[in-house]
Amino acid sequence: MAEKMELNEIEVWDGNYAASQALRQAQVDVVAAYPITPSTPIVESYGAYVANGYVDGEFVMVESEHAAMSGCVGAAAAGGRVATATSSQGFMLMIEVLYQASGMRLPIVLTVVNRAVASPLNVRGDHGDMYAGRDSGWVQIDAFNAQEAYDLTLCAFKIGEDMDVRLPVMVHQDGFVTSHTAQNVKPLQDDVAYNFIGKYQPYEEMLDFTKAVTYGAQTEEDWHYEHKAKQHKALMDSRDVIDRVFAEYKELTGREYNRVEKYFMDDAEVAIVALGSAVETARYAAEELRKEGIKAGVVAPRCFRPFAFDGIREALENVKAVSTLDRSCPMGAMGTLFNEVSAALYTTEKRPLVSNYIYGLGGRDFSVAEAKRIFKEQKAHADAGHLTTPIQQFSGLRGPKLGFFETKRGN
Amino acid sequence: MSRGVLATEKRGMRELGAEEHVGWDEVTQGTLLPSFEKDVDAAHVRPEERPYSDFNSYTATVASWRVIKPVYNRDICIDCQNCWVWCPDTSIVSRDKQMLGIDYDHCKGCGVCVEVCPTNPKSLLMFGESEETEAALAKWPEKKKKAK
Amino acid sequence: MAITSIKNLKEFSTANERFEGAHLLCPGCAHSMIVRELMNCTDDNLVIASNTGCLEVSTAVYPYTSWDTSWIHIGFENAATAASGAEAMYKARKRKGTLKDPDAPVKFVAFGGDGSTYDIGFQWLSGAMERGHDFTYICLDNENYANTGGQRSSATPIGANTTTAQAGRVSYGKKEKKKDMVAIMAAHGAPYVAQLAPNKWKIMAKGFQKALETEGPCFINTVSACTTEWKFDPKDTIHLTDLATDTLMFPIYEIIDGHELNILYRPKNIIPVEEYLAAQGRYKHLFKPENKHVIEQIQKDIDAKWEYLQRREEARV
Repeated sequence: MAEKMELNEIEVWDGNYAASQALRQAQVDVVAAYPITPSTPIVESYGAYVANGYVDGEFVMVESEHAAMSGCVGAAAAGGRVATATSSQGFMLMIEVLYQASGMRLPIVLTVVNRAVASPLNVRGDHGDMYAGRDSGWVQIDAFNAQEAYDLTLCAFKIGEDMDVRLPVMVHQDGFVTSHTAQNVKPLQDDVAYNFIGKYQPYEEMLDFTKAVTYGAQTEEDWHYEHKAKQHKALMDSRDVIDRVFAEYKELTGREYNRVEKYFMDDAEVAIVALGSAVETARYAAEELRKEGIKAGVVAPRCFRPFAFDGIREALENVKAVSTLDRSCPMGAMGTLFNEVSAALYTTEKRPLVSNYIYGLGGRDFSVAEAKRIFKEQKAHADAGHLTTPIQQFSGLRGPKLGFFETKRGN
Repeated sequence: MSRGVLATEKRGMRELGAEEHVGWDEVTQGTLLPSFEKDVDAAHVRPEERPYSDFNSYTATVASWRVIKPVYNRDICIDCQNCWVWCPDTSIVSRDKQMLGIDYDHCKGCGVCVEVCPTNPKSLLMFGESEETEAALAKWPEKKKKAK
Repeated sequence: MAITSIKNLKEFSTANERFEGAHLLCPGCAHSMIVRELMNCTDDNLVIASNTGCLEVSTAVYPYTSWDTSWIHIGFENAATAASGAEAMYKARKRKGTLKDPDAPVKFVAFGGDGSTYDIGFQWLSGAMERGHDFTYICLDNENYANTGGQRSSATPIGANTTTAQAGRVSYGKKEKKKDMVAIMAAHGAPYVAQLAPNKWKIMAKGFQKALETEGPCFINTVSACTTEWKFDPKDTIHLTDLATDTLMFPIYEIIDGHELNILYRPKNIIPVEEYLAAQGRYKHLFKPENKHVIEQIQKDIDAKWEYLQRREEARV
């Protein structure tokens, strides 16, 4: 049996350490991993737990991230709890196998410390990797700070392993800003955390030898479509389980999580929709602006996948202007959040004005002042009754102002 | 079509592709394929006694691939099992060290069994798919004399 | 390990087959001869991983599986890693007491074609060998990407005609020599490495049993004659394999603990390589006068390799 670790009521942890502690407390059977900045400390901390007897599962240090996820898939099919961590280029190398993991309905937990994707090479945080995972069939949950990285990693096991879900789950946090910033974190004691997740329940495991099972069959045009649709439905239906797990976690800890987080949205006229650490920046800016009489609010899709089409519509249908903030360069299109939020809002009666900011690429700082400026710009749109700027703009970018597409559509 | 020995209830019951094309709600979760309907330790249970699931290719037939087929002549066979060890389609049925015959649901007619048969004349020979076994046996060649 | 008796074929034929018919491999394909023999060598439970390739696309096409054991396919390159993961999970669950039957004996096996072994999965295989997982990797070496219609791999021998290294008016086919995968695997310090062939069924079965019994990562390169891409009559698979082993195009040998080399088969009459080449359509063009030098080169390489293997064996190093 693994040694238990006595934890203080409040620990000072960064996001990486918080995630590694959650993996330890989940008593993961196999971690197959490959280190990459900025998620390396998750794997290193786990290595320290192994070396000091705090973990009795297997720790397999493989030769690449593709192999890390491949090892996770093999291990998960063998009927136990599996997790790993990665970032950026490592995430990109894993992508082929991410699709295999979800297609085989294996509840692997992947902690992703978001980082920009080369070229040019960059180790800092943006959401290029997270966005690249969006069609991979995983549940994608986003943590905005270290406490959330810890809480949501625990929840991830319970969500993915639920017999009604059986899908892999990513828990994202921003590289460096979250992963390397020490904050106060309130952890659960080992037993409490483990009991919340519960014992791993195998489904059609390869190590039950009287029940031979084939994993990874091929399907062509006569079967492929049905399997993909079934998987899509499972991901859509995971919304109920996510809600239930968040409710149970609130019961246990008092900390509340929702598929769509809303801050100051009860009477908001203008809003920012964002992911990651920028949510906290925008919240602070909104709070400040409210002192100036601007009814600003923030909406954050806690679940990037399954995307809360319903929750986004409900959160934003009564605002006048919304700016969607995408921390990934969409390369020849509008940002993903813009597209998905716009689609949800198009189905509402009032159809608020929606615009798009690309921001924070490669770890470029996103300040409170900039968030305030964006809110004020939304206020100007709202007052004019139409967008007063190009639909897509760039925040914090040097050089001549860059923007794409215009509309004079009013409300 | 010839079926051969030990044709148990489920063996070769349908052509590949002839299975029912069920909807998304009925395909298996994760595209998994359970080999058996009930628990079984296959290494210690003979094929004819295993609870094969409809997902096991044992229940399918590839007989239509064949244009020629091997015919087995028990009278000449010495049960050497050459045909058994080299059959690529698990189609030589041997039990208790005896060659019983050919599984025509799974045999593709490659002819390897005939080539590796050491008897003189051979105990296995290829015939046209439509040839009746009796007729084939009636045509069996005589022992060949060794060339000097 | 529970071993099936391989004393003679009669004994061996009492094994309970776990590789089912109505798979989609070509008539006369050596892959299934090799896979069947491996599975018949033991009555331990098996967890098998397969790379993408002929074997995989022919044995697990929904809604059918030809496997009566646990089996997994992930991608083209990562069967060794899938087996690593499953083996690690076995160890973890055995320690934690969560296996349904903790005493049930099990072996982990990975299959790959030469494309996935020598080329695209090379790194994954090397990683798994280095990590020392207790598994056996078997390469079904048919010297080309047969599943996709016969492209060259780094296992394709010099002079062979493939769709991406074609013989033509100004080309004799593949220009490069075959990669020596057996030596590379032995260089990993693997406890058991061998090159085996299905025509020598008993040597192959012994090698398989040795690999399965040996703790740690074992590698076996098996010669898998490909009727479709080597272009010979499906009935001749074993005859062709006889030519492969008796010309010493495929010498049969093992290397223990990375150094102790044993030749497992010495042909009584070593056949000139022309006979092997002439029996296959992929080498047809070599018999044009202008390509004679390639045949000479192949023979020279074979002689040199055989000399090397014999000296290595004698040296007992």
